[in-house]
Amino acid sequence: MGSKEKKGKAPRGKAAAQLKPFKKKPNPLDKLDYIDYKDTNLLRRFISDRGKIRSRRITGVSVQQQRELARAIKNAREMALLPYTSTAR
Amino acid sequence: MRRYEMMVILDPDLEERTVAPSLETYLKIIKDSGGSVDRLDIWGRRRMAFEIAKKPEGIYAVVDMKCEPAAIKELDRQLNLNEAVLRTKVIRPGK
Repeated sequence: MGSKEKKGKAPRGKAAAQLKPFKKKPNPLDKLDYIDYKDTNLLRRFISDRGKIRSRRITGVSVQQQRELARAIKNAREMALLPYTSTAR
Repeated sequence: MRRYEMMVILDPDLEERTVAPSLETYLKIIKDSGGSVDRLDIWGRRRMAFEIAKKPEGIYAVVDMKCEPAAIKELDRQLNLNEAVLRTKVIRPGK
């Protein structure tokens, strides 16, 4: 079982590595040192049309910035600047 | 002394020009405690992302100030006692 698992796993990893030459990260977009919860135009770029916070995989910002971003979006939601959820559909 | 930023959402049924004076009276708490109010920014009526207290709009105001923690706490408490205040938020910018 152990060897079978290993066998099954190895090519998959290799294939994945071959399929994805890992394109260089787009651009972290931000060079800000403070992400303001009042800047809804900026924050809106980081939420989906349902109002969910976009993941770092999609936003491409740094870990620290993503954390600040999430904090800012949540603060903005509390003050009704951004929706918790969009009821459009 | 610390820097604070406070956002207040007020009842949209208020007269917009009465907002600044009434906020000023509350901000006396800060001034009396030795703090300073650096900026009082009234955004005015603004559509909210969702209803608060069954109201679709609110009058937003943002205040920047410098004061002791106790003073801002008292200000926040007093504002929340006022029925016309829908919501407040105190933030320490850059923190």
